[in-house]
Amino acid sequence: MYDTCTAVKNGADIEKISTEIRRSIIHMAHKSKSPHVGSSMSCADILAVLYFDVLRLEPWETRDIFILSKGHAAMALYSALAVKGIVDKNLLDGYCLNNGTLPAHLDRFSVKGVEVSAGSLGHGFNIGLGMAYGFKKKGNGRKVYALIGDGESQEGSIWEGALFASKLGLDNFTAVIDYNNLQGYGRPRELCSLEPLRPKWEAFGWHVAEVDGHDHGAIRNAFEADSHGNPKIIIASTTKGKGVSFMEDSLKWHYFTVTDERKERALKELI
Amino acid sequence: MRNTFVDTVIGACEVRDDIFIISGDAGFGVFDEFKNRRAGRFLNLGIAEQNMTGFSAGLSMTGFKVYMYNIIPFVLFRNYEQVRNDICYQKLPVVLAGIGSGVTYAPQGMTHYSIEDIGVARTLPNLTVISPMDPVEARLAAVYSLSSEGPVYVRLAKRGEPKIHDTEDFDITFPPTVRKGEDVAVLFHGSISAEVMKAYDELEKENIHPELISVPVLQPLNRHYLMDKLKDKKLVITVEEHFENSGLGGMLKVLYSEYRPQWRLKTMGIPYGYIHDIKTQQGMREYFGISAGDIRYTVKNLLGDWNGQAAEYRQPVA
Repeated sequence: MYDTCTAVKNGADIEKISTEIRRSIIHMAHKSKSPHVGSSMSCADILAVLYFDVLRLEPWETRDIFILSKGHAAMALYSALAVKGIVDKNLLDGYCLNNGTLPAHLDRFSVKGVEVSAGSLGHGFNIGLGMAYGFKKKGNGRKVYALIGDGESQEGSIWEGALFASKLGLDNFTAVIDYNNLQGYGRPRELCSLEPLRPKWEAFGWHVAEVDGHDHGAIRNAFEADSHGNPKIIIASTTKGKGVSFMEDSLKWHYFTVTDERKERALKELI
Repeated sequence: MRNTFVDTVIGACEVRDDIFIISGDAGFGVFDEFKNRRAGRFLNLGIAEQNMTGFSAGLSMTGFKVYMYNIIPFVLFRNYEQVRNDICYQKLPVVLAGIGSGVTYAPQGMTHYSIEDIGVARTLPNLTVISPMDPVEARLAAVYSLSSEGPVYVRLAKRGEPKIHDTEDFDITFPPTVRKGEDVAVLFHGSISAEVMKAYDELEKENIHPELISVPVLQPLNRHYLMDKLKDKKLVITVEEHFENSGLGGMLKVLYSEYRPQWRLKTMGIPYGYIHDIKTQQGMREYFGISAGDIRYTVKNLLGDWNGQAAEYRQPVA
């Protein structure tokens, strides 16, 4: 397909890694003619920082857990896992195809590194809370990270979990909201605004950080910040379709597919 | 049944440290002893069933054996998609312990009844479905659930049901004979057992000897074993405090069409529909035709018919 790992082998920085993830997303979306390209592109930087700077993955048996609760951005996760070397990059070729290798929404039995089956929104977040609580009970120091969408934040289950997490003292749990301000049929801010978002989470007892979701240093700092015994949420302002000019902040790229011509144009920008 | 089930789970804590009980603000006082014995292994996650279910799934993924306890609408209906995706799809060893089967809570109202839960639970692959009919089966259901590597739904009524089985030495995955009998077999599950036993005692006095077979494990149903057990019968009757169409009765109708047995089938259950009637549990059983008197009448009536007109009854007429 293409050489995903060149940048990593050369000891390249997160910038190059996130570009690799984005290039991989374009390849997968092109081959499978599948949607959710914009949703995957918006969280590529967050995943790059997580997998290359934040998650403790060795030894694998006691690794930190990352849950992609917005499971429709599966291409971003598969790509990050491939760039990291957890998943054989050849498996990406069978994404979302007949008799393929990887489903468009997550199945934890599909491939190593997919921790939780997710795709229906408002599930992975709560599973993550249960895992964080279990790790606390076992006192093993393992941490749990979950990426949710802004559209996903309309689900009641998110707020049920938000209510209980701080009471349970889950300071080993970090949620990141990929706040790209575009859901399936419009802007959350217009459809049903989450704002004011920061005070909401603070009122629920969470430690809140707000960052530019494409600024790797800022994302890393937010992950590292002390949450003072509380669960943490990082509100990451992102751009849907980030990295490809004609996809950026465009509603249609929740659904549009990558044609041959669009693929070439996109890859030219992702270098 | 509830107390026997819970006590069996608590008893297992003597030898294992991985049992965790999650309640959705239900079971007042039920878990006091457990909380004393296993501090930090009980959590009330409040009136938030979606979170409770996902949370239970996650907790089990870290190596705990999780029991999620609530009244049945809140372990299965309110949170159906979490049960489907988080627990069953992921094949996690979470035990859904539901109480208030059938119309146990009558006349609390339809929102608190569970007369379709077997049908709902049977839409979920990987999920074992157990409906114990007495404390013996409740204990065996708890034992089964403790060692299960996949999800289990246990359908309980309340506390205080009488013991019916003479022995505890059987495997609940094989529908056990509760009382030996002759041409008629009465199949049942759950707390309607009280009505079945009353009918049985009356029929015995009238020199009619139905065989009573309990079917505690409804998914996966041990179908070949059950159908073989029934092969010499003339009449098979199912009774349940559940919709007749999507419970044991419906299952037997499907088996009937596959196996084409010689016996006649009659299914007794709650008719398909929402209940607006305000009655006690006993009142409901009588109103819907699943009381001891109804069972007795049905056995006598159909058995009498059979003896006179055998050839006509090759088709189910339920």
